[in-house]
Amino acid sequence: MEIKYTIQGLLIYATIAVYLFAFVAAVARQARAGRIVFLAGFLLAVLSYAYRWHDVRHVPLQNLFEVFLFLGMICYPISRFCRDVLRIGGQWADMFIGAVVLVPSGFVFNAQPMQLPPALQSWLFAPHVAVYMLAYIFMAKAAFQAGEQLLGRRSAVEGALLPPEQATYKLVIIGFPLLTLGLILGSWWGKLAWGDYWGWDPKELWSLASWLVYIGYFHWRYMFGRIHPRINSLWAITGMAAILITLLWVNLSRLFPGLHSYAT
Amino acid sequence: MSRFRRAVLWAALTAVILLTLLSVHGAFLGADRAQAFFNSLPLAVYWLALAALLIVGLVVFRRLLQIPALLLIHLACILILVGGMWGSKAGHVMQKQLFGIDKVVRGQLKMKIGDQAPKGRIDVEDGNSVRELPFAVRLKGFRMEYYEPGEVMIRSREGQVWRLSAKLGEQVSLGELGRITVQKAFENFKLRAEGDKQVPYDAPGGSNPAVQVRVERPDGTATAGYVFEYFDPIFTEAIGFDLTYRRSIKDYISEVEVVADGKAVAAKAIEVNHPLHYGGYHFYQHSLDEDAAGQYTILLVVSDSGLNVVYGGYVMLIAGVFWHFWGRRALIVIKNRRTIVPQAEHE
Repeated sequence: MEIKYTIQGLLIYATIAVYLFAFVAAVARQARAGRIVFLAGFLLAVLSYAYRWHDVRHVPLQNLFEVFLFLGMICYPISRFCRDVLRIGGQWADMFIGAVVLVPSGFVFNAQPMQLPPALQSWLFAPHVAVYMLAYIFMAKAAFQAGEQLLGRRSAVEGALLPPEQATYKLVIIGFPLLTLGLILGSWWGKLAWGDYWGWDPKELWSLASWLVYIGYFHWRYMFGRIHPRINSLWAITGMAAILITLLWVNLSRLFPGLHSYAT
Repeated sequence: MSRFRRAVLWAALTAVILLTLLSVHGAFLGADRAQAFFNSLPLAVYWLALAALLIVGLVVFRRLLQIPALLLIHLACILILVGGMWGSKAGHVMQKQLFGIDKVVRGQLKMKIGDQAPKGRIDVEDGNSVRELPFAVRLKGFRMEYYEPGEVMIRSREGQVWRLSAKLGEQVSLGELGRITVQKAFENFKLRAEGDKQVPYDAPGGSNPAVQVRVERPDGTATAGYVFEYFDPIFTEAIGFDLTYRRSIKDYISEVEVVADGKAVAAKAIEVNHPLHYGGYHFYQHSLDEDAAGQYTILLVVSDSGLNVVYGGYVMLIAGVFWHFWGRRALIVIKNRRTIVPQAEHE
């Protein structure tokens, strides 16, 4: 664990603090105050990301430090989109998730700016990673809703928001095309950079496994979704577990050496 | 739902779960062993069964034919499987046996500047054989580009590390160890005698990157020295810490010409992410190496068999997934709004 005594570090810690404050306000049923503070946290997260971008002079998605910075920034717009467009609740959880995903950037990962190696100098680099990160946040929210369903919780504002099982499905169908796009952009880029559209690299295989879990979710839900709705939720949670392994374990563990290890 | 259709759905679900588990297993094997595993005979049977299952699914479930997006998604999976199998080693063997198409699946071209591989002799990647391409390949030039400026890394005996940009006048404070300032950077450091002195200069051509730095100690004394990319630093006095100079590689570029029937038929500066495509092969900048005769570039040569089929599958998959999950629903929402608004106006 390292504390970053830099402007970048200060911005990250301030964002975490503001997100947590928003979370506390939301849990204390001060919904309006929570939303305003959440917005303030988002603006800080944007500032933090823009500062990093200026510092490294390329889209900051090169390593886990930058990826988590990005995740912390996109929590708010996705949360708003889910609430306003999809009628899905759980904003208090989004505030907490926003704070949690910034912790690795703030305290764990090295922030030393790095030059882009030749393989990463491709226009596919930013969309491939960004699309995946968007998908991951939607799938994280889906897993949260699935958990709510398994715990038997219902929306506090009955009627205004979707029940957890339907919310899970809606989030998965938003996230799944992004997951597919990320996989295919990565494959295309792999072909251009390394000569293979599929290299059987551990990260590729884990991302395929994550994608397949959601394929399984769709087929299961089509077959037995109404009879066994709780198992639908288990699929969504398993998908998120596979995503976490793809994002973190594959890069951090020595068990999985591969072409994607530069992302560590 | 009929018993048969239910069985097909169960088979599809089982195939998905099995492939998920196989992917997880493959991830623990590492890329090379995983590739061998997924190209083994039992897995070839699995791939064929999966393709067959997808076709059966399309026949049995009318819904898949009635909803264009679902049809696209399932056809895309079939195309990706077929293209992948066609481009595999076994697929190339089959191409040779069935159609007499004899292509190298994958190999490496090792070339020095001016080299012309006669009829493109390439080492096949398993390292056991040398094959020929149906055309010759000539290396006109090869270069590496670096990010400028480079970086001086300073490491104290206690393991503390500082980084200093190798720009004229840049400096860093080392606390109790003093301060370091960059005085000059060299592309190709050489020394020449001027009277009884050895004077450094930047010689044209060649490559011996170095940085001249000044080290100021806390007691006010100072010394100057040179930090090299390829050699140990030179200082006239002990400085109490280690210095290294490094530059990050920005790009490898091989200027290549393809010659067929004595004529240059294609030329390209091959870079990472920018391969050359000619005659059914892609040529990639792979790496560089050195032997007693000097540096050489290594180009990876990969057959393009089945690639367009796979890419066609990708386009269909993306179109199908986005249309099914986003497009159709967005249209429904828009239609609903259009029907609700006039009613509201009427009321």
